[in-house]
Amino acid sequence: MIQLSFVTKLYNSNNFGLVIEELEIPTGEIVGVLGANGSGKTTFLKSVMGLGELKRGEVLIAGKPVMEQYHNIAFITEEGSYLSHLTPLMYGEFLSVFFPKFNMEKYIKLLKYFDINTKNKIRTFSKGQKSKVEICAGFSKGAKYILLDEPFLGKDMFTRQDFLKMMISILRTDETILISSHFVNEIENIIDRALIFERGRIQGDYYIDDLREEGKELSEVMKTISGYQENKYQNAMKLI
Amino acid sequence: MQSFNELKLNSKEPVYIQIASFVKKEILLKRAILGDKLPSRREIAAQLSVNPNTVQKAFKLMEEEGYVHTSGNQGSIIYVNEVIYRLIEEELTGELVREFITSAKDINLSFKKVVELITEHW
Repeated sequence: MIQLSFVTKLYNSNNFGLVIEELEIPTGEIVGVLGANGSGKTTFLKSVMGLGELKRGEVLIAGKPVMEQYHNIAFITEEGSYLSHLTPLMYGEFLSVFFPKFNMEKYIKLLKYFDINTKNKIRTFSKGQKSKVEICAGFSKGAKYILLDEPFLGKDMFTRQDFLKMMISILRTDETILISSHFVNEIENIIDRALIFERGRIQGDYYIDDLREEGKELSEVMKTISGYQENKYQNAMKLI
Repeated sequence: MQSFNELKLNSKEPVYIQIASFVKKEILLKRAILGDKLPSRREIAAQLSVNPNTVQKAFKLMEEEGYVHTSGNQGSIIYVNEVIYRLIEEELTGELVREFITSAKDINLSFKKVVELITEHW
Protein backbone atom coordinates (compact mmCIF):
# COMPACT_ATOMS: atom_id res chain seq x y z
CA MET A 1 0.00 0.00 0.00
CA ILE A 2 1.12 3.50 -0.86
CA GLN A 3 -0.24 6.28 1.34
CA LEU A 4 0.08 10.00 0.78
CA SER A 5 -1.19 12.49 3.30
CA PHE A 6 -1.20 16.25 3.00
CA VAL A 7 1.57 16.20 0.44
CA THR A 8 2.52 19.66 -0.78
CA LYS A 9 5.28 20.46 -3.17
CA LEU A 10 5.75 23.93 -4.55
CA TYR A 11 7.94 25.37 -7.23
CA ASN A 12 9.25 28.91 -7.51
CA SER A 13 8.28 29.10 -11.13
CA ASN A 14 4.69 29.48 -12.25
CA ASN A 15 4.36 25.71 -12.17
CA PHE A 16 1.47 24.43 -10.07
CA GLY A 17 3.48 22.08 -7.87
CA LEU A 18 1.55 19.32 -6.20
CA VAL A 19 -1.12 19.26 -3.52
CA ILE A 20 -2.60 15.94 -2.38
CA GLU A 21 -4.60 15.77 0.80
CA GLU A 22 -5.12 12.05 1.06
CA LEU A 23 -4.44 9.17 -1.29
CA GLU A 24 -4.28 5.43 -0.74
CA ILE A 25 -3.19 2.91 -3.32
CA PRO A 26 -3.75 -0.67 -2.14
CA THR A 27 -1.19 -3.37 -2.95
CA GLY A 28 -1.65 -5.05 -6.31
CA GLU A 29 -3.40 -2.17 -8.02
CA ILE A 30 -2.37 -0.97 -11.45
CA VAL A 31 -2.94 2.75 -11.49
CA GLY A 32 -2.86 5.06 -14.49
CA VAL A 33 -1.43 8.50 -13.76
CA LEU A 34 -3.11 10.64 -16.36
CA GLY A 35 -3.50 14.28 -17.29
CA ALA A 36 -2.42 16.90 -19.79
CA ASN A 37 1.18 18.07 -20.15
CA GLY A 38 2.33 19.94 -17.06
CA SER A 39 -0.55 18.69 -14.90
CA GLY A 40 1.74 17.20 -12.24
CA LYS A 41 2.09 13.55 -13.23
CA THR A 42 5.88 13.39 -13.08
CA THR A 43 5.98 15.53 -9.93
CA PHE A 44 3.57 13.08 -8.33
CA LEU A 45 5.63 10.02 -9.30
CA LYS A 46 8.82 11.69 -8.12
CA SER A 47 7.17 12.50 -4.79
CA VAL A 48 6.15 8.89 -4.32
CA MET A 49 9.72 7.91 -5.17
CA GLY A 50 11.01 10.42 -2.64
CA LEU A 51 12.88 12.48 -5.21
CA GLY A 52 13.04 16.13 -4.24
CA GLU A 53 11.89 17.53 -0.98
CA LEU A 54 8.28 17.89 0.04
CA LYS A 55 7.20 21.17 1.57
CA ARG A 56 4.74 19.34 3.77
CA GLY A 57 3.21 15.94 4.15
CA GLU A 58 4.21 12.34 4.17
CA VAL A 59 4.54 9.44 1.77
CA LEU A 60 4.44 5.96 3.25
CA ILE A 61 5.11 2.77 1.37
CA ALA A 62 3.97 -0.37 3.19
CA GLY A 63 3.84 1.81 6.29
CA LYS A 64 7.43 3.01 6.05
CA PRO A 65 9.05 6.16 4.68
CA VAL A 66 10.30 5.87 1.09
CA MET A 67 13.94 6.04 2.20
CA GLU A 68 13.57 2.66 3.86
CA GLN A 69 11.89 1.16 0.79
CA TYR A 70 14.27 2.00 -2.05
CA HIS A 71 15.15 -1.66 -2.56
CA ASN A 72 11.44 -2.34 -3.09
CA ILE A 73 10.83 0.37 -5.67
CA ALA A 74 11.72 0.60 -9.32
CA PHE A 75 11.39 3.96 -11.04
CA ILE A 76 11.42 3.66 -14.79
CA THR A 77 11.78 7.02 -16.47
CA GLU A 78 12.38 8.42 -19.90
CA GLU A 79 15.32 10.38 -18.46
CA GLY A 80 16.98 7.02 -17.91
CA SER A 81 18.89 5.80 -14.90
CA TYR A 82 21.25 3.51 -16.84
CA LEU A 83 24.95 4.26 -17.10
CA SER A 84 25.73 4.92 -20.75
CA HIS A 85 29.38 3.93 -20.69
CA LEU A 86 28.43 0.39 -19.65
CA THR A 87 27.07 -2.42 -21.79
CA PRO A 88 23.62 -3.73 -20.74
CA LEU A 89 25.39 -6.76 -19.30
CA MET A 90 27.78 -4.69 -17.19
CA TYR A 91 24.90 -2.49 -16.11
CA GLY A 92 23.06 -5.59 -14.90
CA GLU A 93 26.09 -6.62 -12.86
CA PHE A 94 26.23 -3.12 -11.42
CA LEU A 95 22.55 -3.28 -10.43
CA SER A 96 22.86 -6.67 -8.79
CA VAL A 97 25.31 -5.10 -6.35
CA PHE A 98 22.77 -2.49 -5.29
CA PHE A 99 19.60 -4.54 -5.52
CA PRO A 100 19.92 -7.78 -3.58
CA LYS A 101 16.84 -9.17 -5.34
CA PHE A 102 18.05 -8.25 -8.83
CA ASN A 103 17.31 -11.18 -11.13
CA MET A 104 20.10 -11.37 -13.72
CA GLU A 105 18.51 -14.29 -15.57
CA LYS A 106 15.20 -12.45 -15.96
CA TYR A 107 17.07 -9.30 -17.03
CA ILE A 108 18.92 -11.10 -19.80
CA LYS A 109 15.71 -12.82 -20.96
CA LEU A 110 13.92 -9.47 -21.12
CA LEU A 111 16.79 -7.88 -23.07
CA LYS A 112 16.56 -10.76 -25.51
CA TYR A 113 12.78 -10.33 -25.78
CA PHE A 114 13.34 -6.74 -26.90
CA ASP A 115 16.23 -7.73 -29.23
CA ILE A 116 18.79 -5.70 -27.32
CA ASN A 117 22.44 -6.32 -27.99
CA THR A 118 23.91 -6.97 -24.56
CA LYS A 119 27.55 -6.42 -25.49
CA ASN A 120 27.57 -2.91 -26.95
CA LYS A 121 27.81 0.20 -24.82
CA ILE A 122 24.43 1.71 -24.00
CA ARG A 123 25.47 5.11 -25.31
CA THR A 124 25.65 3.73 -28.85
CA PHE A 125 21.95 2.74 -28.68
CA SER A 126 18.99 4.58 -30.17
CA LYS A 127 16.60 6.40 -27.86
CA GLY A 128 14.08 3.55 -28.07
CA GLN A 129 16.72 0.90 -27.33
CA LYS A 130 18.01 2.85 -24.33
CA SER A 131 14.58 3.02 -22.81
CA LYS A 132 14.10 -0.70 -23.39
CA VAL A 133 17.25 -1.27 -21.31
CA GLU A 134 15.70 0.97 -18.63
CA ILE A 135 12.48 -1.08 -18.69
CA CYS A 136 14.30 -4.45 -18.58
CA ALA A 137 16.37 -3.27 -15.62
CA GLY A 138 13.33 -1.86 -13.81
CA PHE A 139 11.37 -5.07 -14.08
CA SER A 140 14.29 -7.22 -12.94
CA LYS A 141 14.89 -5.49 -9.62
CA GLY A 142 12.37 -7.68 -7.83
CA ALA A 143 10.58 -4.51 -6.76
CA LYS A 144 7.09 -4.63 -5.31
CA TYR A 145 6.38 -1.06 -6.34
CA ILE A 146 6.98 -0.14 -9.94
CA LEU A 147 6.68 3.45 -11.08
CA LEU A 148 6.72 4.11 -14.80
CA ASP A 149 6.96 7.65 -16.08
CA GLU A 150 5.91 7.82 -19.74
CA PRO A 151 7.35 4.43 -20.66
CA PHE A 152 5.87 4.78 -24.17
CA LEU A 153 7.58 8.01 -25.12
CA GLY A 154 9.29 7.64 -28.48
CA LYS A 155 8.20 4.02 -28.95
CA ASP A 156 6.43 2.70 -32.00
CA MET A 157 3.04 0.98 -31.84
CA PHE A 158 4.45 -2.56 -31.91
CA THR A 159 7.02 -1.89 -29.20
CA ARG A 160 4.25 -0.42 -27.01
CA GLN A 161 2.19 -3.56 -27.51
CA ASP A 162 5.16 -5.83 -26.85
CA PHE A 163 5.96 -3.88 -23.73
CA LEU A 164 2.43 -4.15 -22.32
CA LYS A 165 2.21 -7.87 -23.07
CA MET A 166 5.62 -8.39 -21.49
CA MET A 167 4.53 -6.49 -18.40
CA ILE A 168 1.32 -8.49 -18.05
CA SER A 169 3.17 -11.77 -18.52
CA ILE A 170 5.74 -11.19 -15.82
CA LEU A 171 3.55 -9.61 -13.13
CA ARG A 172 2.84 -11.73 -10.11
CA THR A 173 -0.21 -9.61 -9.17
CA ASP A 174 1.27 -8.52 -5.85
CA GLU A 175 3.14 -5.65 -7.46
CA THR A 176 1.68 -2.18 -7.20
CA ILE A 177 2.15 -0.28 -10.43
CA LEU A 178 1.86 3.41 -11.19
CA ILE A 179 2.09 4.25 -14.86
CA SER A 180 1.87 7.67 -16.44
CA SER A 181 1.05 7.91 -20.11
CA HIS A 182 -0.67 9.97 -22.75
CA PHE A 183 -1.71 6.82 -24.60
CA VAL A 184 -4.95 6.61 -22.67
CA ASN A 185 -6.70 4.16 -24.96
CA GLU A 186 -3.72 1.81 -24.96
CA ILE A 187 -3.59 1.52 -21.19
CA GLU A 188 -7.20 1.97 -20.13
CA ASN A 189 -7.86 -1.78 -20.32
CA ILE A 190 -4.81 -2.56 -18.24
CA ILE A 191 -5.23 -0.16 -15.37
CA ASP A 192 -7.60 -0.82 -12.47
CA ARG A 193 -7.83 2.80 -11.61
CA ALA A 194 -7.18 6.21 -13.13
CA LEU A 195 -5.88 9.25 -11.30
CA ILE A 196 -6.48 12.32 -13.40
CA PHE A 197 -4.22 15.27 -12.64
CA GLU A 198 -4.93 18.88 -13.44
CA ARG A 199 -2.90 21.84 -12.14
CA GLY A 200 -1.05 19.71 -9.62
CA ARG A 201 -4.14 18.24 -8.04
CA ILE A 202 -5.97 14.96 -8.42
CA GLN A 203 -9.22 16.07 -10.03
CA GLY A 204 -10.48 12.61 -10.84
CA ASP A 205 -9.99 9.24 -9.16
CA TYR A 206 -11.93 6.45 -10.84
CA TYR A 207 -12.00 2.68 -11.00
CA ILE A 208 -12.36 1.93 -14.71
CA ASP A 209 -15.01 -0.78 -14.26
CA ASP A 210 -17.15 1.50 -12.07
CA LEU A 211 -16.80 4.34 -14.53
CA ARG A 212 -17.94 2.19 -17.44
CA GLU A 213 -20.76 0.68 -15.44
CA GLU A 214 -22.02 4.24 -15.01
CA GLY A 215 -21.92 4.53 -18.79
CA LYS A 216 -18.97 6.90 -18.88
CA GLU A 217 -15.81 6.75 -20.95
CA LEU A 218 -12.40 7.60 -19.55
CA SER A 219 -11.38 9.83 -22.45
CA GLU A 220 -14.60 11.85 -22.12
CA VAL A 221 -14.11 12.29 -18.39
CA MET A 222 -10.54 13.45 -19.03
CA LYS A 223 -11.74 15.99 -21.58
CA THR A 224 -14.12 17.47 -19.04
CA ILE A 225 -11.56 17.56 -16.24
CA SER A 226 -8.79 19.15 -18.26
CA GLY A 227 -11.25 21.68 -19.70
CA TYR A 228 -10.34 20.72 -23.24
CA GLN A 229 -11.86 23.21 -25.66
CA GLU A 230 -13.02 21.32 -28.67
CA ASN A 231 -13.53 24.42 -30.78
CA LYS A 232 -10.16 26.01 -30.10
CA TYR A 233 -8.96 25.06 -33.59
CA GLN A 234 -11.35 27.67 -34.95
CA ASN A 235 -9.08 30.36 -33.49
CA ALA A 236 -6.21 28.84 -35.41
CA MET A 237 -8.23 29.00 -38.60
CA LYS A 238 -8.68 32.73 -38.06
CA LEU A 239 -4.89 33.16 -38.07
CA ILE A 240 -4.60 32.52 -41.76
CA MET B 1 -8.36 -24.39 -26.67
CA GLN B 2 -10.62 -21.35 -26.77
CA SER B 3 -8.83 -18.37 -28.31
CA PHE B 4 -9.56 -14.75 -27.46
CA ASN B 5 -7.80 -13.28 -30.47
CA GLU B 6 -11.06 -12.35 -32.12
CA LEU B 7 -12.31 -10.34 -29.18
CA LYS B 8 -11.97 -6.64 -30.00
CA LEU B 9 -12.35 -4.64 -26.82
CA ASN B 10 -14.30 -1.40 -26.70
CA SER B 11 -13.79 1.43 -24.22
CA LYS B 12 -17.43 1.59 -23.10
CA GLU B 13 -18.12 -1.63 -21.18
CA PRO B 14 -16.07 -3.07 -18.30
CA VAL B 15 -13.51 -5.47 -19.76
CA TYR B 16 -14.57 -8.41 -17.57
CA ILE B 17 -18.10 -8.15 -18.95
CA GLN B 18 -16.77 -8.02 -22.51
CA ILE B 19 -14.77 -11.20 -21.88
CA ALA B 20 -17.81 -13.02 -20.47
CA SER B 21 -20.02 -11.81 -23.35
CA PHE B 22 -17.45 -13.04 -25.85
CA VAL B 23 -17.44 -16.53 -24.30
CA LYS B 24 -21.27 -16.58 -24.32
CA LYS B 25 -21.26 -15.63 -28.00
CA GLU B 26 -18.78 -18.41 -28.76
CA ILE B 27 -21.09 -20.85 -26.97
CA LEU B 28 -24.14 -19.59 -28.85
CA LEU B 29 -22.33 -20.06 -32.17
CA LYS B 30 -21.24 -23.53 -31.01
CA ARG B 31 -17.61 -22.54 -31.53
CA ALA B 32 -17.12 -23.28 -27.84
CA ILE B 33 -18.56 -26.59 -26.71
CA LEU B 34 -18.76 -28.66 -23.55
CA GLY B 35 -15.30 -29.56 -22.28
CA ASP B 36 -13.32 -27.02 -24.34
CA LYS B 37 -10.34 -25.79 -22.39
CA LEU B 38 -9.79 -22.12 -21.64
CA PRO B 39 -6.26 -20.68 -21.61
CA SER B 40 -4.73 -19.66 -18.28
CA ARG B 41 -5.74 -16.30 -16.86
CA ARG B 42 -2.27 -14.92 -17.49
CA GLU B 43 -2.35 -16.13 -21.09
CA ILE B 44 -5.72 -14.44 -21.71
CA ALA B 45 -4.50 -11.25 -20.06
CA ALA B 46 -1.47 -11.15 -22.37
CA GLN B 47 -3.53 -12.08 -25.46
CA LEU B 48 -5.90 -9.18 -24.83
CA SER B 49 -3.37 -6.81 -23.21
CA VAL B 50 -5.55 -6.44 -20.13
CA ASN B 51 -5.03 -6.55 -16.39
CA PRO B 52 -4.74 -10.10 -14.94
CA ASN B 53 -7.08 -8.99 -12.10
CA THR B 54 -9.72 -8.21 -14.73
CA VAL B 55 -9.45 -11.70 -16.23
CA GLN B 56 -9.83 -13.13 -12.74
CA LYS B 57 -12.99 -11.05 -12.35
CA ALA B 58 -14.32 -12.37 -15.68
CA PHE B 59 -13.74 -15.99 -14.58
CA LYS B 60 -15.57 -15.35 -11.33
CA LEU B 61 -18.55 -14.02 -13.27
CA MET B 62 -18.50 -16.89 -15.81
CA GLU B 63 -18.26 -19.47 -13.04
CA GLU B 64 -21.18 -17.86 -11.20
CA GLU B 65 -23.25 -17.77 -14.38
CA GLY B 66 -22.44 -21.45 -14.82
CA TYR B 67 -20.86 -21.84 -18.26
CA VAL B 68 -17.27 -22.09 -17.05
CA HIS B 69 -16.14 -24.73 -14.59
CA THR B 70 -12.77 -24.61 -12.89
CA SER B 71 -11.08 -27.47 -11.11
CA GLY B 72 -7.70 -27.48 -9.48
CA ASN B 73 -5.83 -29.85 -11.75
CA GLN B 74 -7.72 -29.44 -15.03
CA GLY B 75 -7.90 -25.67 -15.20
CA SER B 76 -11.02 -24.05 -16.61
CA ILE B 77 -13.36 -25.59 -19.16
CA ILE B 78 -16.56 -24.62 -20.96
CA TYR B 79 -19.65 -26.16 -19.44
CA VAL B 80 -22.93 -26.15 -21.39
CA ASN B 81 -26.14 -28.08 -21.02
CA GLU B 82 -29.48 -27.41 -22.63
CA VAL B 83 -30.69 -25.04 -19.90
CA ILE B 84 -27.51 -22.93 -20.01
CA TYR B 85 -27.56 -22.84 -23.80
CA ARG B 86 -31.19 -21.61 -23.83
CA LEU B 87 -30.41 -18.93 -21.25
CA ILE B 88 -27.46 -17.65 -23.27
CA GLU B 89 -29.52 -17.72 -26.43
CA GLU B 90 -32.32 -15.72 -24.84
CA GLU B 91 -29.89 -13.21 -23.36
CA LEU B 92 -27.92 -12.58 -26.53
CA THR B 93 -30.86 -12.50 -28.94
CA GLY B 94 -32.80 -10.28 -26.56
CA GLU B 95 -29.84 -7.93 -26.39
CA LEU B 96 -29.57 -7.80 -30.17
CA VAL B 97 -33.26 -6.98 -30.60
CA ARG B 98 -33.22 -4.34 -27.86
CA GLU B 99 -30.20 -2.64 -29.44
CA PHE B 100 -31.92 -2.70 -32.80
CA ILE B 101 -35.09 -1.18 -31.35
CA THR B 102 -33.08 1.58 -29.68
CA SER B 103 -31.33 2.50 -32.94
CA ALA B 104 -34.63 2.38 -34.83
CA LYS B 105 -36.27 4.68 -32.28
CA ASP B 106 -33.26 7.01 -32.47
CA ILE B 107 -34.15 7.77 -36.06
CA ASN B 108 -37.88 7.98 -35.28
CA LEU B 109 -38.90 4.80 -37.09
CA SER B 110 -42.40 3.61 -36.25
CA PHE B 111 -43.10 -0.02 -35.33
CA LYS B 112 -45.16 -0.37 -38.49
CA LYS B 113 -42.36 1.00 -40.67
CA VAL B 114 -39.81 -1.31 -39.03
CA VAL B 115 -41.96 -4.37 -39.68
CA GLU B 116 -42.42 -3.26 -43.28
CA LEU B 117 -38.67 -2.83 -43.70
CA ILE B 118 -37.89 -6.19 -42.12
CA THR B 119 -40.38 -7.90 -44.42
CA GLU B 120 -38.82 -6.18 -47.40
CA HIS B 121 -35.21 -6.94 -46.53
CA TRP B 122 -35.51 -10.40 -44.95
